[in-house]
Amino acid sequence: MTDVSIKVTDLTLRFPVYGVDAKSLKKNLARVTVGGRLGASNTGATEVTALSHLNLNLRAGDRLGLIGHNGSGKTTLLRALSGAYEPDEGQIEVRGRIAALLDLSLGIDPSATGVDNIRLRGRIAGMSSKEIEDKMDEIAEFSGLGPFLAMPMKTYSAGMQARLAFAVATAVEADVLLMDEWISVGDADFQKLAHRRLLNLVERAGILVLSSHDAGLLRLYCNKVMRLEGGVASEVKDIRRLDELLAAA
Amino acid sequence: MESGQHMLRTGRRGTLFEFSMALRDLVTSYHRRGLAWSLAWHDVVSRYRGSILGPFWITISMGLMVLGIGLLYAKLFGISVAEFMPYVAMGIVFFGLMAGTINEGCDTFVQASSMLSQTSLPMFTFIWRTVLRNLINLAHHAVIIVGVILVFGLWRVMDPFPALGGLLLTIVNLAWISMLAAIASARFRDIPQFVMSVMQFAIFMTPVFWKPDAFPDRHAFLTLNPFYHMLTTIRAPLMGQQADGLSYVILAIMAVLGWALTFSVFAITRRRIVHFL
Repeated sequence: MTDVSIKVTDLTLRFPVYGVDAKSLKKNLARVTVGGRLGASNTGATEVTALSHLNLNLRAGDRLGLIGHNGSGKTTLLRALSGAYEPDEGQIEVRGRIAALLDLSLGIDPSATGVDNIRLRGRIAGMSSKEIEDKMDEIAEFSGLGPFLAMPMKTYSAGMQARLAFAVATAVEADVLLMDEWISVGDADFQKLAHRRLLNLVERAGILVLSSHDAGLLRLYCNKVMRLEGGVASEVKDIRRLDELLAAA
Repeated sequence: MESGQHMLRTGRRGTLFEFSMALRDLVTSYHRRGLAWSLAWHDVVSRYRGSILGPFWITISMGLMVLGIGLLYAKLFGISVAEFMPYVAMGIVFFGLMAGTINEGCDTFVQASSMLSQTSLPMFTFIWRTVLRNLINLAHHAVIIVGVILVFGLWRVMDPFPALGGLLLTIVNLAWISMLAAIASARFRDIPQFVMSVMQFAIFMTPVFWKPDAFPDRHAFLTLNPFYHMLTTIRAPLMGQQADGLSYVILAIMAVLGWALTFSVFAITRRRIVHFL
């Protein structure tokens, strides 16, 4: 696909925080009966603005690194790009097949076998059962788990679980790859393998958006960088100017 | 817009737009129906992993209840076992489908929160997952139905097509009730308890274990109970009787109005559901 693109226009995302109180029906009924006395807070939700007026344009070949403090909106932006969050204002348009590798444990059932988990995770990622069966051998081989694939996931060590999850997550053919930082999984051998696979994936994928605190990692994978601070984005800069952005912190 | 190749997400653009996005969610869930099925199947398999009989354990416990209640109540009410046993059997199995689909509906979105907050999977997929899961369970319990039909010779008198019609109308209605419960439970955590109480109340208020002969036809006590219509349109034809045409009409009207209501609620709350969780 040549016209892979991400176009974010004036994106504002607010999270309503439903307090523990607001989640109880009784409180809400009580609110109805006491009517206007509560005035402005009658929706019961406090809103947190996670992203405000964000603009972003990415084309094929762009590999954007996201930096920023904890809570600056990096993950929220990734989730919005994956289509999970609806904008409150503005617009997100993504052309190309999206693969969001935000949480390795997504759709993993610890009591199911490795093979079952590969199937389930593949289905969630949008693969057909045929696609999954076609890729099964490749995924199995890459995970390096051999006979353990027939065992329940709960018998795996954390590293083994990560291997399997990583193998499935990266088996998806994608044009747009969204990643939260979790690349450092498994032992040294596996890291090398994972690195090669990621580079391969990044080359195949038209666009990569990667959130990380690791400047070395960003230099390795990205050619552009953007800094988020309190939900406000800096302009997109060339990766060679990463130090400027980091210094601004 | 969800062709897998193009995704568009925008801020609110008026009610009509919200409805069209809700419709798109529904259409996408249809295109990805294989996923709902995989999830439902996986739920059943994983719930009973390591157990030899699996979902048949529920079938066995239902079967025991049918035997016990069938024999006991037949004696107490002075009805022949041949008449009462299949009646109770179908009552328990089909009411099980209703209670299961509605009660589990409360968990639909809460259970799927991690998937909903990281992927663009259609929300309807999870509704179908709950409904399909309960239909898979029903398929196991059908053993009991087939059993009573064979043992008590009902295959000679039964009329399967109206029963299938009744089952279809029931499922369509259960689906919207389940979805409404899912949305409400995501927002208000009291709803699951409330729904469970209602369903517990309903099993006694609906002629599951007892025969409504004491009531004149179309008595309000029965006519106002939606579960009565669901049950009677499935059960009566299987017992070789005719269900009141009014019950089919009521179910059809309920389906239309219920879906209109549920779909509107979904269209309005769709953006927020992921934040409720």
